[in-house]
Amino acid sequence: MNLRLLLLLGLLCLGPAGAATDPQAVLKAIVDNQRGGSLRATLTLSITRPERQTQFVLEVVSDGNDRAITWVKAPPKEAGQAFLRVGDNIQLYNPSLKRVLRLPPSGRSDSFLGSDLSYSDLAGRDLEQDFIPRVETESDSSITLELIPKPQAPTPYGKLVLLASKPGFVPREVRYYDQRGQAVRKITFAQFAQVGGQSFPTQTTVEDLLRPGHRTQVVYSNYRFGIAVPESCFSVRALEAGC
Amino acid sequence: MLTSTLALPRLAWRNLWRHRRRTLLLLLVVAYATLTIVLFWGINDGFIQSILYGNARYLGAPVLITTPAYFQDPDPEQGLPSLGFLSQVETQPGVRAAAPRLEFPGLVRSAYAAEAVRVRGVEPALEARVSRIPSAITQGRMLEKPGEVVLGQQLAERLDVRLGERVVLDTSALAGPQALGLQVVGLVRSGVAPVDRGAVLVHLGDARRLTGLATATAVALDVPRGQESRLARALNLELPPGLRAYDLSQLLGGLAEALQTRQGSVFLIGLLFSLFAALAVTSTVLVSVLERTREFGIMEAIGMSPQRLAQVVTLETILATALGWGAGLVLGYALNYWMAVQNVLGPVFASYGAAWEILGTGSEIYTAQSPWYALFAATIIVLAALFLILIPARRVLALNPAEAMRTE
Repeated sequence: MNLRLLLLLGLLCLGPAGAATDPQAVLKAIVDNQRGGSLRATLTLSITRPERQTQFVLEVVSDGNDRAITWVKAPPKEAGQAFLRVGDNIQLYNPSLKRVLRLPPSGRSDSFLGSDLSYSDLAGRDLEQDFIPRVETESDSSITLELIPKPQAPTPYGKLVLLASKPGFVPREVRYYDQRGQAVRKITFAQFAQVGGQSFPTQTTVEDLLRPGHRTQVVYSNYRFGIAVPESCFSVRALEAGC
Repeated sequence: MLTSTLALPRLAWRNLWRHRRRTLLLLLVVAYATLTIVLFWGINDGFIQSILYGNARYLGAPVLITTPAYFQDPDPEQGLPSLGFLSQVETQPGVRAAAPRLEFPGLVRSAYAAEAVRVRGVEPALEARVSRIPSAITQGRMLEKPGEVVLGQQLAERLDVRLGERVVLDTSALAGPQALGLQVVGLVRSGVAPVDRGAVLVHLGDARRLTGLATATAVALDVPRGQESRLARALNLELPPGLRAYDLSQLLGGLAEALQTRQGSVFLIGLLFSLFAALAVTSTVLVSVLERTREFGIMEAIGMSPQRLAQVVTLETILATALGWGAGLVLGYALNYWMAVQNVLGPVFASYGAAWEILGTGSEIYTAQSPWYALFAATIIVLAALFLILIPARRVLALNPAEAMRTE
């Protein structure tokens, strides 16, 4: 048996599994579902703590890529605050000071409106860019990807485990593990809206697994996808004046 | 014989050893006070030098070359336009090493916490020649290549990261918002609070990548101790326009001023020491004068004038204090030298814990040596002589020989 034949047999044995699932393609499909395209929506941000529960109503406009603007509408005490994200830059509008402030690097880990989301999460980088995916398990109805950070990737986590349902690779759950193998954070997705053939999760729940009882839920309502968003929406002026 | 100039000192010297116990007591008082004063100044100056040295070696540099704009506003945007002057600086007499640094504010994140920090980008091999931080790495090792980070031990504890784990460094400078994952390779435990609480060392290459600055924000120089100001002045004549060399006192700013203000109050405390020692000497002499009233009465009766007698008493005291001063200096300087070469004070002060670490002295504190301490201690003799003229000598002057001879 010559070497060429051996190689051919090997490839035939490995072939079906490798060809069925390209982890990079699956990850791209999952991320595409999360993006959803341009959007204007009302968000209800519910923050649960062991001793209290707080709710914010936000209005958000996004171009579906790396630009988004968010206004706080309720409760009245917090209303008027606004946040503009353009790429990794975040600017805040404080109605009491009537001033726009640029978020310094030291403020990026600060909690967004006291929730379990940080400003860094809002300016979240692409999973595709920072992680190497590997198919952990796969069935007819679901797939689990293990995402390992690339060298020097800006993530403090040891790995992410991403669960998606099939067909369509709809994101269901992301678990964040520290570098010692302990799950520290969980994000679950539910209530999917069909947008241009993709399933956009309109309910996202973030749980801090290190602090029981710490939970944040984001629910989209009155959403309109695929709208034309004027450029002026992503300007500093829009923080105060709206668009 | 008694009227000759040399007779008085000889008489005073002889009198000293006629009352050995009293003289030894006086000598001991002065020796002890002198020793205390020498040690007081040695420890005080040594402590201040330790603060300056600690700040220079752990937090800053003995001499730093940067732009005046960066000195005023330490933002990477105000960094060095080029590093072309480096070879010129390295050949400057007195400059032992020159290490480029790129410092910038950032945020260091773990999976559990985040801290605002000031990051120092360094050339690993060169940094060890200008800073003591690399030698204070107690776990792991110094940086070797890009992609690594060294953290202060307390900072690592707050972030809950261990050796080998990754942290994320975020910053925003010339390159806009940037972030990098770095592996923790070393932990610093220096005994200097700002270092242990906040040190973040990264490779210069990573610092350049994060900030977008292709050069550095400053060049740190290692120069001999005490030569900082002179070398900074010499360098300022040689450096290209737009660059300045700053010495330690300029770099320390408010801290240097605070230390100078403190020196004023310490000088007063030193003077108080001398004053109390001089009062102790005076009271010892006064007791001696009271005890020797009969003897003085006889001396006046056989023809010695009260003025001469007062001069003899004063001379006796000056000789005894001078002897005590000499003995105190020998002992004081010997003890001071021992504490200048052995880290005796470091462990003592370290027992004060975090309150002490904030001063930035490090774990080693040595005494300072200066001939001025002998002069400061000599104020005891001067003050004692003044007090003697005011009190015991006046009593001798007012002595009535007939009454004095009847005194038991």
